[in-house]
Amino acid sequence: MNRPPPPLLVASDLSKLFGGVVALDTLNLEVRANDILGLIGPNGSGKTTFFNVVTGIYPATSGRVTFDGAEITGFSTQAVYRSGISRTFQRSRLSLPLSVFDNIMVGNHKRLNQGLWFNLVRRGAFREEFEANFEEARTLIRVFDAPLAERMFEAVAGFPMIDRRRIEICRALISHPKLLLLDEPSAGMTHDETSALMDDILEVKARFKDLTIVIVEHEMGVIERITNRCVVLNFGQKICEGTYQEVSRDRQVQEAYLGIE
Amino acid sequence: MDVGYLAQYVMNGLMLGMMYALVAVGFTLFFGVLDVIKFSHGDVLTVGAFAGLATYLGLDLLGISSPVVLVLCVLSVSALCMALLGALIARYLVLPLRSAPPLNTLLITLMLGTVLRESVRLFYPQGANPKPFPALLPTDSVTMGNFNLRLDNVMMLFAGTIVIVGVHLLLTRTKLGLAIRAVAQDEETAKTMGINFKLIVLITFGLGSALAAFAGIMNGLYYNEINFGMGLLLGVIGFSSAIVGGLGNIYGAILGGFLFAALQTVGAVAMPFASAYKDVFAFGVIILIMAWRPTGLIREKVSERV
Amino acid sequence: MNDPRPRGGGLIACIVATIAVTAYVIALLVVESQIGILILLAGGVAAVLAAARFGVLARVGEGLARRENTLHLLAVVGVVVATAFFHEDHFILLMMATVILYVLATLGLNVQFGFTGVLNFAGASFFGVGCYTAAVLSMHTAVPHILVLLIGGLMAALIGSILLLPVLRTRGHYAAVVTIAFALLFKTFLEVNDVLGGPQGLRVAGMNLFGWEFNDNIQIGENLELSFYVNYIVLGLILLGLAFAFVRRLERSWIGLNLDAIRLDDTAAACFGLNIARWKITAFTIGNFLTGVAGGLYAMMLGFIAPTNFTFGDSLILVSIVLLGGIGNVWGLVVATTIVIILPEKLQAIQEYRFLLYGAMVILMLLFRPEGLLPRPLRRYFPGWQPR
Repeated sequence: MNRPPPPLLVASDLSKLFGGVVALDTLNLEVRANDILGLIGPNGSGKTTFFNVVTGIYPATSGRVTFDGAEITGFSTQAVYRSGISRTFQRSRLSLPLSVFDNIMVGNHKRLNQGLWFNLVRRGAFREEFEANFEEARTLIRVFDAPLAERMFEAVAGFPMIDRRRIEICRALISHPKLLLLDEPSAGMTHDETSALMDDILEVKARFKDLTIVIVEHEMGVIERITNRCVVLNFGQKICEGTYQEVSRDRQVQEAYLGIE
Repeated sequence: MDVGYLAQYVMNGLMLGMMYALVAVGFTLFFGVLDVIKFSHGDVLTVGAFAGLATYLGLDLLGISSPVVLVLCVLSVSALCMALLGALIARYLVLPLRSAPPLNTLLITLMLGTVLRESVRLFYPQGANPKPFPALLPTDSVTMGNFNLRLDNVMMLFAGTIVIVGVHLLLTRTKLGLAIRAVAQDEETAKTMGINFKLIVLITFGLGSALAAFAGIMNGLYYNEINFGMGLLLGVIGFSSAIVGGLGNIYGAILGGFLFAALQTVGAVAMPFASAYKDVFAFGVIILIMAWRPTGLIREKVSERV
Repeated sequence: MNDPRPRGGGLIACIVATIAVTAYVIALLVVESQIGILILLAGGVAAVLAAARFGVLARVGEGLARRENTLHLLAVVGVVVATAFFHEDHFILLMMATVILYVLATLGLNVQFGFTGVLNFAGASFFGVGCYTAAVLSMHTAVPHILVLLIGGLMAALIGSILLLPVLRTRGHYAAVVTIAFALLFKTFLEVNDVLGGPQGLRVAGMNLFGWEFNDNIQIGENLELSFYVNYIVLGLILLGLAFAFVRRLERSWIGLNLDAIRLDDTAAACFGLNIARWKITAFTIGNFLTGVAGGLYAMMLGFIAPTNFTFGDSLILVSIVLLGGIGNVWGLVVATTIVIILPEKLQAIQEYRFLLYGAMVILMLLFRPEGLLPRPLRRYFPGWQPR
């Protein structure tokens, strides 16, 4: 047998305290390359906090995070993004007055030339970059929804939740991250919409061969369908991991969800 | 330095601090319940002072000369009017903008401040000029060396302390205070517990504005003069004091007010040659404090204690 | 849906609209009687409402947006025609030049506040820095005057950088207080210090561009004399054109996108690598520079400046212009500045009440039409560009 590839993301003894509240408690967690990993657990079990600590929104109280072989503990949000991790937010955080294209380009920051001279004076070169990126964004969004790709210059405020989720995922994907963190993509959507979005995510995974995804979800149907591995958190600690079938049979997991002590 | 002078400075600093603290407590109350800054607060103070002056002039015309009646009427009319004004501002300008960007609340109250300030200037008879404010309190004084302790100042300090302690008791010992604190803690939970959110907000804004009226009258009595621009300065200083104390923390606001007054007084003592620059100094300190501790000096200590 | 024909009014409609607007503004400036002005204003409001009601406004607007170069040309022609019409009238030309320089100043504020969301309630102070720089340099040094304007802008940007640390470390309300404190500090400082003339203010030399004295009337032939303010209008218009093109390009670039993203959600923006501090510094500095340059030329035009020109109230007027015009919309600034500057000059009755009126207008605007008179359109990186 081949040796398994080294894990893409490793959290070692990661802790996060808010005042006296322990959100992450010496958490040890590995994300293997090319997985779709489901991160599940009851409310307040530390799933979103884990995302926020990994992406540098909150500094970790203690412990380490390594990504792709390099330590990223204490990195700023900007540095984490540049190293190849991008994310969506639980409460969709798009810029509603801006166009679909603008929102996606915010996610492409590191690949766009940000120089003053380039942007203001070399308009010809800027135009080429703009057109190339437009094509790329349109191709990407077509993976999700073809009609949406024809409405690139409309304000996001005019789109329904499912399209906003799609746009948000495109914003996270446009920069070709190695790791995509999806924070409850089904929140605020109907059952059918959720199902359609999961098709999209699987389609994306099929197209981007090297993409690894961590998804936080409450809908167990979603987890069962798209993940190949699950980690269950409770009180900021990992209580179980394995395939969905394995973890769903685990007694500790059932207790955590049913609240039995 | 002479002990008498020192005592004089301390007394002046305490008076200033009391006024700043009263304004700062208002800012803190508003921020507590709604997470908004009401920038018209300083100008509500101005209007309060002018309302007090108008009340005095009206009573004077009626021939009422009993100082006790005068003081009580001036204070209660001014405080009631400003409480009403504060509630109206909350009802028609602040609450409707809750779903808009917070920037809009800031702008709308800032512009309202301009409207109030300009209204006083334009519509109060000769409002553009400073107005003498009557000495309603006994001005007897005790002189000890270079220290001149005036009875009216002592009375004002005493009254100010009572008001602040009263607000404190209201917040901590009454059902209303409990409701205000509940709203400040978590709006949604407070609503589900059956608290009338809107009413509590209006009452809080009324309360804060009444405090501003009190500070305005105090300012008039202390300097024997009021003018239409006085609130702008007091508002900015009061807000800065509230920030220094960590917005939303009533003890912090009080401490911030006195701290700011202390800084100003020390500045005046240390640099008597630059007395003309005292306001420049005050604003410079505000900018420095914001650069140094933008979220206030107190907050971190409090969270350690929790 | 994919109609290849450009929508919107034709070229003729755009030209007619420009002629109408120019004629209307000229008429407004000519009329002296207060009743006449009121009638004109009412007529203007009615005409705009009617045009909006019948879709004319939208069509002409779209037509002009589609032909941006035509729009710019028409705007310049309109100003030139009005200037020619009033070529001798000092007072009206001064008003026009003031509008031009205020638009230049508010362009700066627009970059800070409209694009980036960095509040600046000290706009009049940075305008004042430009003015005082011009006063000192033009009276006491031999620095060429065009450089004086540049230095005025740089000084404003430099003094603004003192506020950078507190502005960057704070958000929203807190940053607002920093700039309010600075506005009050600046005015008080000007009043109490002796070096810069104290409350009496300073004299400023007129602009001299490569030997051309701006403060002399222009004699053309035997019997045509142009007011010296025409000089300032021409130079102001050139500077405004440059600044306008600059701000437009900024808006239509990745940088403009960065600024918007930071204004709308800086946490999300930071998660996608945007360096919040860098772009806030860029916007704040560019904005103060533009405001300072405008101040420099304004001081030279007036010939005299005093602290009372740079009060907190004046800063609020600049912010009001941005809000009334439509936050972030550069054309909105032109409309709003024209209203804010010209109205109180023509309607003497409201002169005294102008701060009050603007305050009330902004309150109503925020309550009922927060997007302003001319809401900012979506970003179009290249006007007329269509995806293939």
